[in-house]
Amino acid sequence: MQRVEKMQRQAIKIEGLVKRFNDIIAVNEVSLEINEGEIFALLGPNGAGKTTIISILATLLKPTSGRAYVNGYNVVKEAEKVRKSIGIVFQDPSLDDQLTARENLDIHARLYHIPKEERRRRIREVLEMVELYERADSLVKTFSGGMKRRLEIARGLMHKPSVLFLDEPTLGLDPQTRRHIWNYIKKLKNEGVTVLLTTHYMEEADSLADRIAIIDNGKIVVFGTPSELKDSIGGDVIKIRCSNVSKLKDRLHENGFDAKIINGEIILHVNVAEKVIPKIFSLSSGIEIHSIMYKEPSLEDVFLHYTGRAYREEEASGIDRIRMRMVRR
Amino acid sequence: MIHDIYTIYLREMLRLRRQRVRLVTTIVMPLLWLGIIGNAFNNAFKTVGSSLLGGDFLSFLTPGILIMTMVFTATISGITTVFDREFGFLKEMLVAPIKRESILIGKMFGGVSQAILQGIIIIVLAIFMGVSFSGASSIPGMLLTMFLVSIAFVSLGLAVASKIKSMEGFQMIMNFLIQPMIFLSGAFYPVKTLPSWLKIFVRINPLTYGVDAMRYFAIGINEFNVILDLTILAIFSILLILLGGHFFRKT
Repeated sequence: MQRVEKMQRQAIKIEGLVKRFNDIIAVNEVSLEINEGEIFALLGPNGAGKTTIISILATLLKPTSGRAYVNGYNVVKEAEKVRKSIGIVFQDPSLDDQLTARENLDIHARLYHIPKEERRRRIREVLEMVELYERADSLVKTFSGGMKRRLEIARGLMHKPSVLFLDEPTLGLDPQTRRHIWNYIKKLKNEGVTVLLTTHYMEEADSLADRIAIIDNGKIVVFGTPSELKDSIGGDVIKIRCSNVSKLKDRLHENGFDAKIINGEIILHVNVAEKVIPKIFSLSSGIEIHSIMYKEPSLEDVFLHYTGRAYREEEASGIDRIRMRMVRR
Repeated sequence: MIHDIYTIYLREMLRLRRQRVRLVTTIVMPLLWLGIIGNAFNNAFKTVGSSLLGGDFLSFLTPGILIMTMVFTATISGITTVFDREFGFLKEMLVAPIKRESILIGKMFGGVSQAILQGIIIIVLAIFMGVSFSGASSIPGMLLTMFLVSIAFVSLGLAVASKIKSMEGFQMIMNFLIQPMIFLSGAFYPVKTLPSWLKIFVRINPLTYGVDAMRYFAIGINEFNVILDLTILAIFSILLILLGGHFFRKT
């Protein structure tokens, strides 16, 4: 019985969290509960407020109003206890690149008061986990972006935190390295670590997270497991290209379909696409249909459905690339 | 808390070990001062100045150059917090379960160690150049002066670093605050014979008393009472430590 109770404990609890920077509301009335041992993703475009939420939970920022608890500790009143029980990998690099990997981990372990013997053992453990043990005594400035990221994840785990925050863990990394890091994050789940990660990569949230909260303009738009989210907007997504988009859309509306026009295409959410497609053809007299595509909904479709606008991952990552160039110099 | 201070200090020392090249390059300037300017004026002043200087010019200049080098090093070590902020390591420390004060004190001692290490190197070099220092009994006094001067300027560096967000800003402080303070400190010339308008600036400059105390302990020459020197220096240091602490905590 005790075990069950422990399983259901919340690692993170956020109640009506608000953060204002002068006139800008970065976080607007966010409430959230994250269970122990789950991987939870905050998904949203840049500037949605994800990093602000993580900074508040990590006690680096004070909320304007609302309450937040990590491992049962209040992030404002019990900041030091919170800090002891969390690990964090920041969006921007935070290693000392004049030191070796081992020295970075050693300083970290000392800051968290890990005794000498355990320090040595843990350094080996975490470095082996991220496959950097052979490079333990190399200076961090000789590491690639992906290696630095892995080292930061290793460092975040040094003191065995029960909650690990990962702020855009694969930002600016190539697809192969990204998958590599996903594997490490999945491994953490087996060790019982609660992971809260932010990302603006749909695929990342989809493949890693047990539950996802989609966040836009400082508000949580919707949350649930990836499949819950996809199911919530209907069985299939149909995309139609044709000679007269608005006319076909109107006809679909008249027949009770919830059709939208996005980027010159009609987007339709239906239960079973195969049954609807013949109907579309029967409604399209006088309109030339160029193509009809259907697929199971992706998180992109979920975002589109709940926010009413298309998700611009590429645009965001373009800005990131410029930003990364400045930061990772 | 002591443990945490040590950890921050340890990191500073690890970094220092990696920057041996920088340590060498910062020795070059004082070496030029002593080797060229010191020796050049040594001969020029031999006939006119020894009564005014109280000894040869090279010996007179050495404590001044010592203070100058330490002031530069100490202030620049404050720059490391700016680097930490730019390269993110400050966040790693801020999110750790340690007190802000530990970070501050650890960094201060890191800068002080670096400055004193440099001071000792210059003393050794000066001995090789033939400067005769007072006996071993003056070592505690020299170390005390070195400590007070370096902690004051590390703190100033930290205060400035907490306020100024760019390297350009730091250059401004070095050029418009630190350099004038050194030039107006009597590090390079005796204060006694200055024109009175200049003397005012020199007398209100706290660093003047640091140079004077150093000269007293190092070669036994002084202009003011050494107790007065050390008192003013101590007050100056405490004020800057408080200022540095105040600004640092706010970031």
